[in-house]
Amino acid sequence: MDDFLTVRDLRMRFDDHEALKGVSYTMGKGLLVGLIGPNGCGKSTMMKCISRIHDMTSGFISVDGNDVSTMKPAEVAKLVANVPAEAGQTFGMTVMDMVMLGRYPFVDRIWWETKEDERVVREALRTFGLDHLRRKPVSLLSSGERQRALIAKAYVQEPKLMLVDEPTSHLDMKYKLNVMEYLRKMARSDMTVLVAEHDISLMARYCDVCIIMKQGEIVTIGDPKEVITEDLIRDVYEVEARVGLDVDGEIYVLPKRYAGME
Amino acid sequence: MDEDNKMKGWLKKGYHGLREQMDAPMEEEESEIDRKKRRFVVIVVFGVVMSFIAFLISISVSSGGVIPVSEAIGALFSAIGKANATPEQIASNPELYQMTTVELYIYQSRLPRTIAAIAVGAGLAIAGCMYQALIRNPLVDPYITGVSSGSGTFAIAIVALGISLPFLPNGSLYMIPLAAIVGGLIAFAVTMGVAEGSGGSATNYILAGTIVGFAFSSFQTIFLSMSQDNITNAMWWLFGSFANITWENAWLVFIPAIGISLISMVWAREFNLFMMGEDQAKQLGLNVVRFKRSMMIIASVLTAFCVAFCGIIGFVGLIIPHACRMALGSDHRLIMPASIVLGAMLMLFADLIARTVMSPMELPVGAITAMIGTPIFAYILMRKGREYNG
Repeated sequence: MDDFLTVRDLRMRFDDHEALKGVSYTMGKGLLVGLIGPNGCGKSTMMKCISRIHDMTSGFISVDGNDVSTMKPAEVAKLVANVPAEAGQTFGMTVMDMVMLGRYPFVDRIWWETKEDERVVREALRTFGLDHLRRKPVSLLSSGERQRALIAKAYVQEPKLMLVDEPTSHLDMKYKLNVMEYLRKMARSDMTVLVAEHDISLMARYCDVCIIMKQGEIVTIGDPKEVITEDLIRDVYEVEARVGLDVDGEIYVLPKRYAGME
Repeated sequence: MDEDNKMKGWLKKGYHGLREQMDAPMEEEESEIDRKKRRFVVIVVFGVVMSFIAFLISISVSSGGVIPVSEAIGALFSAIGKANATPEQIASNPELYQMTTVELYIYQSRLPRTIAAIAVGAGLAIAGCMYQALIRNPLVDPYITGVSSGSGTFAIAIVALGISLPFLPNGSLYMIPLAAIVGGLIAFAVTMGVAEGSGGSATNYILAGTIVGFAFSSFQTIFLSMSQDNITNAMWWLFGSFANITWENAWLVFIPAIGISLISMVWAREFNLFMMGEDQAKQLGLNVVRFKRSMMIIASVLTAFCVAFCGIIGFVGLIIPHACRMALGSDHRLIMPASIVLGAMLMLFADLIARTVMSPMELPVGAITAMIGTPIFAYILMRKGREYNG
């Protein structure tokens, strides 16, 4: 069970820039995995390689025993889902229409989805508390609702692995926690969830495992309570920070000053 | 208090608001897919009926005045009968198969024009719809890939330089259209080459199309200044007009334009997918590069055919798809057929106005499409613009 997700010597090169310099790790099933690292360290690139948005330069990726690189794109879509950080320009698309797009890999005929697709979508809308908003344009949702809609769209792909890119970057405290609760709920329902996120305290609170990355390489992997230290923050972010334990035993990270210019 | 505000909201929205309120308890039961299918049927039925009515009006009204619709239909059928008579029938009774003035007018002039207007309106609207979805930019119209400039340059060159083609008689009706199609496709090929060479992103398509358009436009200007003697010959084409449409070429517009428009609807769901961005479409299993390339080619060929015989008619391809999106949401299974219907109708009425209001002078139809379309579009924009933005 421990090798549900296997990444071995993953390399990704864009022209003369090497975004991933040989990343290797294995992950078990049903975990909420936090992906932490500075901007441009390769978090998004790695997730895009796993979901085949990018074709990796070299390496090996398997999800639930399937070699991703040899699969058809539609088959990958039923196994791995990718939640983007932003919905972008949606031209008045409704919530229901957007979530329904997640069923694309399942519809093998042209044009109309089936009743079954609709049932799955409605169920997902209810799960994420969006059913009453389903005819509303995505552009009129609040940031928190929009983020949940994006997650719902990935959820109806019925994936075994969900990759979530900076889901809380535009959200206030309430929705940050709200979105993280949903992600944890999904992980507990036997889905492995990989989240890239900048709020380290939030990651430490929710994630089972953390992958810390820097400049296209993995610095360390492990239980957030063990791996997140003041030394690590200094090494990875060039920032002096206080890492402490809250009264309830949760880690908090308090940035103090930028140390990279000295 | 909250209820009060809700009610005010409904009342402010008028009829639709009240319907929303009345429909509210029913919503739970209804399948959204069935709802969409129903709306699709409504669009198709409405489109066929309205196009037919517009068609009847179009053949009944002329610069000479209005004849009763029944008379117009009668004249149309008898004219079709006469036109399709066998030589033996005509030989047996030549008088009987001689068309009356009205018949001749309807059959030879208004009918082919009407057919061409339907096809060009539909074609430009759906081509615009496809480009907007592919490039994900609301300011895109069918001429974004340089097709119109390429077509224009070649059409004007034919007129200005007096070029004749060996396989076509001099002054042939097909000379300009043929040149226009070839020119449009050459311009698109250059655009595509530049855009794909620079990575093939949507923005690069716009940039490439714009510079290629400028390049061809400058050639066009040079040819225009060289051809001052027969500049009017070239002008009708640049402004857009159905005046040169006859039976011989009406079908050459109608069949490809309507054919390609209908075929492109097969990929309506893939266009929906594209609205989420190329990364998401790719992640959901669509071969994005191949899809974008092939749809670009289809839309450009469609545009070239629309432009070839009737010249450059603006506005329809930009505005009709937006109006449909605002009214119907973002599902291309509804927007694409609606674009076909609305585009055809707008063009029919624009042509009707172009050939009647200032008769015997013909106005450029491109100007009329904008005149009718702008107020309608402004109204929809004010009603729905807020939901649409972003």
